[in-house]
Amino acid sequence: MDVISGLQQGFGVALMPMNLFWCFLGCFLGTIVGVLPGLGPAATIAMLLPLTFGMDPASGIIMLSGIYFGAKYGGSTTSILLNIPGEASSVVTCLDGYQMARKGRGGAALGIAAIASFVAGTFGIVALTVLAPPVAGFALRFSSPEYFALMALGLSLVVVLGGDSLLKAILSLLVGLWLTSIGTDLFTSQSRYTFGAVALISGIDFMLVAIGVFAVAGVLESIHAKEETKLLPVPREMRNLLPSWAELRACRFAFLNGSVVGFIVGVLPGAGSSIASFIAYGLEKAVSRHPERFGTGVPEGVAAPEGANNADSGGALVPLLTLGLPGGGTTAILLSALVLWGVKPGPLMMQDSPQVFWGLVASLYIGNAMLLILNLPLVPLFAQILRIPLFVLFPVVLGLTIVGAYSIADSALNIVMLAGFGLLGYAMARLDFPTAPLILGFVLGDPMERAVRQALTMSQGDIAILFSRPLSATMLVCAAAVLVLSLAARFRRRPSA
Amino acid sequence: MTHGGAALGALARDGEALAGAALAALGVHIVRQALGWEIMGPDGPGPGFFPFGYGALMIVLSLGLIVSRARRAAIAPSAAPGAWRAHVRPLVTWAAFALAALLMPVIGFVPAFAGLTLFMARFVFTRDWGSSLLVAALCALGFWIVFPILLDVRLPAGPLGF
Amino acid sequence: MNRRDLILGGATLAAASPILAPTARAAWQPTRPVELVAHNGPGSGPDVFARAIVTTIEQEKLSPVRFQVSNRVGGGGATAMNYVVDKRGDPGVLSVWTSLWISLPLVQAEARSTVADMTPVARLVIEPAMVVVRADSPFTTMKDLIEAARQKPGTIRQSGGSVTARDNIVRQLLMAATGTRWAFISFPAGSERIAALLGGHVELMIAEPTEAGEQIRAGKLRALAQVGEKRLAAFPDVPTLREAGMPIADVPQARGFVAPPGIPAEALAFYEDLFARLVVSPTWRKYVIDNQFEEAHLNASQTGAFFSEYQGRLRTILQEGGVKVVR
Repeated sequence: MDVISGLQQGFGVALMPMNLFWCFLGCFLGTIVGVLPGLGPAATIAMLLPLTFGMDPASGIIMLSGIYFGAKYGGSTTSILLNIPGEASSVVTCLDGYQMARKGRGGAALGIAAIASFVAGTFGIVALTVLAPPVAGFALRFSSPEYFALMALGLSLVVVLGGDSLLKAILSLLVGLWLTSIGTDLFTSQSRYTFGAVALISGIDFMLVAIGVFAVAGVLESIHAKEETKLLPVPREMRNLLPSWAELRACRFAFLNGSVVGFIVGVLPGAGSSIASFIAYGLEKAVSRHPERFGTGVPEGVAAPEGANNADSGGALVPLLTLGLPGGGTTAILLSALVLWGVKPGPLMMQDSPQVFWGLVASLYIGNAMLLILNLPLVPLFAQILRIPLFVLFPVVLGLTIVGAYSIADSALNIVMLAGFGLLGYAMARLDFPTAPLILGFVLGDPMERAVRQALTMSQGDIAILFSRPLSATMLVCAAAVLVLSLAARFRRRPSA
Repeated sequence: MTHGGAALGALARDGEALAGAALAALGVHIVRQALGWEIMGPDGPGPGFFPFGYGALMIVLSLGLIVSRARRAAIAPSAAPGAWRAHVRPLVTWAAFALAALLMPVIGFVPAFAGLTLFMARFVFTRDWGSSLLVAALCALGFWIVFPILLDVRLPAGPLGF
Repeated sequence: MNRRDLILGGATLAAASPILAPTARAAWQPTRPVELVAHNGPGSGPDVFARAIVTTIEQEKLSPVRFQVSNRVGGGGATAMNYVVDKRGDPGVLSVWTSLWISLPLVQAEARSTVADMTPVARLVIEPAMVVVRADSPFTTMKDLIEAARQKPGTIRQSGGSVTARDNIVRQLLMAATGTRWAFISFPAGSERIAALLGGHVELMIAEPTEAGEQIRAGKLRALAQVGEKRLAAFPDVPTLREAGMPIADVPQARGFVAPPGIPAEALAFYEDLFARLVVSPTWRKYVIDNQFEEAHLNASQTGAFFSEYQGRLRTILQEGGVKVVR
């Protein structure tokens, strides 16, 4: 039917040598941008946009979406090797990725991330190809009450993510919720918890918290006397640089989980890819037979979030291409790029500009394969970073965190706040407060508050709106199930606590 | 009395109990601020609604943390004396990092980062002066070439332009 | 200094600046690249706008030096505003201003800089807007909508941005003019507002033509009225609010440029001349049409007058709508 002929036409466009070149260039630039802190896909696309004016719209969008996909591939590299999330979407990858690297499986973690990205990314694109119109309808049925339920489901994962003490995990989550409240309230323009500082009016950037609590605190943690000796053994043989069959087999379910969760969350315009990767990671841990090993470097803990954030890219293109609704920063720029080329994104785009639509879809298949081919050979190369002696590596890591923090808003105050979050993360680790729930609270707090207030405004204060709609009721039941089941598992494991 | 007093003293020096106290104070601050804003208005929940909820929960749970710690403290005394020594190197590193962060807008990224690298290599990792200086110079130069020059990423600039 | 002084000061400053005929070539010329500040990140409205200006200046060869966009993000715009004020006397910096620059200092105690502290340079465009409902909505005119709000209070909901944004201000004015009331639900992103309307979770929205145009063309949404003084060329059949029987004050959402305070008069003259030539260039005209803006060029002194007049009007509207105004 239409999809087949559309794809044929699309591959006709995307396989033209010129477009293959643009696709490669985009993927390559995207990977670099993803690896380096301080450069994001959104800024890169904005910078390159003027260069694409002279191009055919199909070539232009092929190159720019190559950057978009490539950045998500590259973002995992620094997460795994240095505990510095390259992009917001790869924050969760730090949890197990960096621990794998510390156990000498850094190469394997990179390989798993690349393979998970490829598998789930391809799943997302296939779903985009065949399901786009019906799924777009689903996205529209999703409104504030459903977002509330989704965030509640996310928050319930705190039980799964937390360490030994549930009390500490929840307290850490609450601090995350508070940090995200800092800034101007969208609804009333009331500033909250800003201590009168202008710099805090628009809130604290997620990346700042994540880099501080993970990367800076991670360095301090590693310098802590007892741990230095057993850090980062260097892999020697080739087989240590790529994932083993056993590791890949352990990730079977994670690939699927990441693909499905990532795509579904990606389709929703109000939920970002960091939410997708958190939910995928939490689910993976919740159903795992050895949840206690998560956070110590299990391959599934890398595959699930990495898969989710790549399937999310395919999902996020659904509302953009079928409804003209961008899901986040990067897709918003793709949208303005389309407008600049004279393509009108909206419900009629598939009819009006089929060569752009199908050319883009086809190029995503090609780009994804290209990224895998580009990234796998880079794995052994990147893994060499771990051979750098610590007295050089750690200052470099701190330098990269500074560049990343400063470039968020060219603000020197951000570097000072980064130091503050670094100390917070270190103190939390010393006192056995898990940091993942803090990040989870920070990611979910704002959208959750918004959703509950929007929903209650819609219903004029009637709380039933949160429970009476089928989709939100289903998700709330799931959240309750996650809570009850993992609490039960917790008490079975340690009946005394 | 003396026994109870000693237990209380131990608790006051205990990191976990201190964290509980700090979180309780934060919770009180959150709730007090939230009460100053509208909690429930004619059009729906106001800006105080959500913070009030998690702030109140934070107070309850942090008190719970202190209580549970006090109970366990009665059975097992906390960390052995002298454990603080392990914190010296990380905290000194952090102080150097924070100092570099504060100095950066004044003297620029390159000198501040070179200083941080030099300090870490020489004092935290106890390399000799020669290799520390070399590493500091090369790192700062490398960052300078990669970020502002090759990638056009802005970094804090000092009076000399870097 | 209280706010009246600030506004009066700004007005006199603007009135004192020399007005040159658009064709006159200025005596001062920049010698190094001009920094064009945008208060939001890459891809945001002000950023895209600033980059379009850079492209136009380059294509039409309007300046001897390059213009470079710099994103000074933070404080909901306050960081960029403070930056401009702190660059006192520096003729090498210009910044995009939007209506936010006028409303933000009214509601944010922390925002210490206002447009009255800066040198107005130009207003360039007005962003039009339309009142839209779903295509299968029972409302076909503004009157239907208002009648429903009167008969069944609480059944009408509007999706929009923050309380200081234009969509809420128009709502406040409409409610005050008709004695009705309906709910306003804030969403951070334009796409979420449209999605809420398309999904039937709210009843109406005040949308920009670029957001809603394609949805209208696809038969998903219907425009009831245009917010603005005159009908847009792209929507000749949609009445303005005034024509639809809702004679409320116009609240134009505009964009233009300001410079730091105290720049030399010759430098201001150069930029005034630059923008006067820019707005008549074919590249710019095409940009304005593609983005469905309304051409609304004002020179420096007119822009200054626009600032003080608009801020006064906005303050009254916000106060009447129950928003806490701090200046």
